[in-house]
Amino acid sequence: MSETTQLRVLDFDCPSCASTVERALSNEQGVEDVEVHYSTGRVEIEYDDSVADPATFEQTIENQGYTPQPA
Amino acid sequence: MDTQSIKQYYRKHRKAIIVAVSGLLYAGGWSIGYFAGLNTLSAATLILAAIVGGYDIAKTAYHEIRSRTLGIKTLVTLAAIGAIAIGSYWEAAAVVFLFALGSYLEGRTMRKTRNALEELLEMTPDTATVRRDGEQKEVPAREVEEGEVVIVKPGEKIPVDGDVVEGESAVNQAPVTGESAPVHKADGDEVYAGTINQEGAIEIATTGSGTDTTLQRIIRRVEEAQEAQSPTESIIDRFATYYTPGVIALSIGAFAVTQNAILSLTLLVIGCPGALVIGPPVSIVSAIGNAARSGVLMKGGEHLEKAGKIDLVAFDKTGTLTKGETTVADVEGFGVTDDEALELAAIAEKKSEHHLADAIVAAAQDRSTTATDGGVAVSADQRESSVSAGSIPDPDDFEVVAGKGVVAHQDDREIVVGNRKLLDERGIDVPDEVAEYVREREERGETAVHVVRGGRVVGVIAMRDELREAAPGVIAQLQEAGIETVMLTGDNERVAAAVADEVGIDDYRAELLPEDKQTVIEEYREEGHVVAMVGDGINDAPSLATADVGIAMGAAGTDTAIETADMALMADDLERIPYAVTLSKATRWNIYENVGLAVLTVTVLLAGVLTSYVTLALGMLVHEASVLAVIGNGMRLLRH
Repeated sequence: MSETTQLRVLDFDCPSCASTVERALSNEQGVEDVEVHYSTGRVEIEYDDSVADPATFEQTIENQGYTPQPA
Repeated sequence: MDTQSIKQYYRKHRKAIIVAVSGLLYAGGWSIGYFAGLNTLSAATLILAAIVGGYDIAKTAYHEIRSRTLGIKTLVTLAAIGAIAIGSYWEAAAVVFLFALGSYLEGRTMRKTRNALEELLEMTPDTATVRRDGEQKEVPAREVEEGEVVIVKPGEKIPVDGDVVEGESAVNQAPVTGESAPVHKADGDEVYAGTINQEGAIEIATTGSGTDTTLQRIIRRVEEAQEAQSPTESIIDRFATYYTPGVIALSIGAFAVTQNAILSLTLLVIGCPGALVIGPPVSIVSAIGNAARSGVLMKGGEHLEKAGKIDLVAFDKTGTLTKGETTVADVEGFGVTDDEALELAAIAEKKSEHHLADAIVAAAQDRSTTATDGGVAVSADQRESSVSAGSIPDPDDFEVVAGKGVVAHQDDREIVVGNRKLLDERGIDVPDEVAEYVREREERGETAVHVVRGGRVVGVIAMRDELREAAPGVIAQLQEAGIETVMLTGDNERVAAAVADEVGIDDYRAELLPEDKQTVIEEYREEGHVVAMVGDGINDAPSLATADVGIAMGAAGTDTAIETADMALMADDLERIPYAVTLSKATRWNIYENVGLAVLTVTVLLAGVLTSYVTLALGMLVHEASVLAVIGNGMRLLRH
C-alpha cells in the first residue's frame, strides 16, 4: 500500500541542500515520490509501506546534516 | 547531566557546537603560529579546525557529487582541500569556519521565516467538549465527527468548523480572516476552528474537524503558494545549474593560465551562487507568510511578482465598493398610490432572484404590515424568509430580461419592472414628470426602476446601496501609490457617475452586462495596463480570471473564490486591498534588490580576486555576509 508521510526540516541553509536531501530520500528502498521544499522546509514522502520503513527517513535526513522533526 | 541528555543536547545544538569548536581551533592554531612560532603544531591545529568544521560540509558535498548536482558545498570542499594541499592551512581553516558559521546563521534565520505560519497552526485547540449520549465529554478535537455538537465556553478557542445551533457570542476571527474586530455569531452562523469565542457560551454543529477545517486548508494553500516557484526563481535556478560547473571550469582555466593555485581556489569560493539563489525565495516566503497572517491568501510567487506590477485596479461596484445591501430609498406613484406601485413591482419580482428584486419584495411586505417611509435592508440570510412569505400574490408567469428587468402577468395584465432600456425596447412611453423624477434620484447615485402596468408607467422605485465606509479611503490610498482606479457597474451612466464621484474613483464604466466586464478588463490589458480586478469571486469569477491579478473578497469558507482568485481576502474587508498591493510592490523591489546585491557582490569580488586584493578567507567572509544581508533584506517583508 502506498502511504504518505510528512516531515519538517527547519535548518536548510541553501536551495541545493534541499535537492540533495530529496535525491537521498528518493534513493531509499520503497520510496515512490519525494518532494523537499527549501522555502517551507516541508518534506513529503510517498512510499510503499510493505518495503520502506518510515523510521529510516529521519536517519537519512540526519545523515545529510539536517534536523528532521514531525510536520 | 547523564549521557542520554548530553547526547540529546549535542543532537539539538550540533551545528552551533561544530562552529564553536572549529572557531576555537582556528583561533588557537593561528595564535600558536603567530605568537609561539610553532609552525607544525599550528598547521596541525588548523587542519583539525578545517576537519571539524568541514566534516558535514564534505559529507554533503560527497552526496552532491554522487547525485550529480554540483552545489556550493562541493565548491567549498574543493577549495579547502586545495588550500591544504598547497600548504595554506590558515586559509583552509578560515574558509571552512566562515562557511560553517554562515550556514548556521542562515539556517537559523530561515527557520524564523519558515515558522511564520506556526502561530496560526497553534491556534487550534487539541481537545473539544462534545455532547455524547446526553453527557458532556472532552475528546481530542480531530476525533469530533461531522454533525456532533461541540460546546464552547466564553474565552475558549473554537476547536472545529461548524454552524452555531445554540447561544450567541462575539467571535474573534483574526486567525482566519485577519480582522481584529469580533464578529457577532448567532443561530445558523458559520464559525471556524482556531477562532476565539469571546463572550457567550455557544454550541456548534460540527461540519469539519482535524485537517478538514478552513484554517488547515488555508495553511496548506499558503504553504503550497510559498513552495511554488516564481518566474525569477525558475530563471535563477536554471542559470545556477550551468553557473556552478562554469565556475569550476573558470577556476581550472585560471590555474592553467596563471599557475596561481590560491587565485583559482578563491574563484571557486566567491563563485558560489549563494545570495543569488537564496534571495528570491526568502522574499516570497516572507511576503506570503506576512499576508497570510493578515488574512490575505496569495496564490504563489508568480502571482506576487505580477501583482507587484499592477498599475490599474478595477472594482466591481455592487458588494465591493458598496455594502451590497440594497434598500428601497423612495417610491413614487404616478396615477396610483406609492404603496400600490410598490406592490405591483413586488408581484412581478416575487419569483426573481435578483438582489434588486429581493429589496423590492422585502419593502412591499414591510409596508403591507407597518406603513413606513424608511428603507428595508436585505442581506443574504434574510432573503429566504422574505421571498417565501405570502402576503404578496404570485404572478401567473414571469420572465427575466437579463440586465434590464422582468416582464410578468397577473390577472391578464402585463406588469413590466425595469430600466429605461427595457421600456424603450417595448415601446413604452415615459412621461416627462417620470423622467424628471428618475433623473433626480439617479443623480444621487440611486438606481431607479420603472413600474409599468398595461403599457403605462405607474411608478418608479429608487433604490440605494450604501458605499462601504472604507471605500473612499482605500481609493485615495491606491491613488497615492500611483495606481489608477476604475469602477465597473451595470448601473446607468448617471448613477455610476454619482457613485464614482462620491467614492473619488478615477474612472468608471457604466451599463455593463456581466460579460462586458471581462471585455473591459481585456481592453485595459491591451492598452498595456497590468490590471487587478476586485470582486466577490463568485459572480465576478470570469472577470477575476481575465485580469492579470484577480482579487476575491470575503473568501473564507468559499472555496470557489479561493480557487479562481490569484489573491483572496479572507475577510470582507476592502482595506486589505492597498495593503496587498503595496506588499506585492515591496516584494517585487525586494527581489530586485536581492538579485542586484548578489550580482554586485560577485562582480566586486571577481574584480578583487583578479587584481589580487581579495584573498580566499576575505572572499568567503564577503560571500557569507552577502547571503546574510539578502536573507535579512527578505525578512523585512515579514514586518511590512
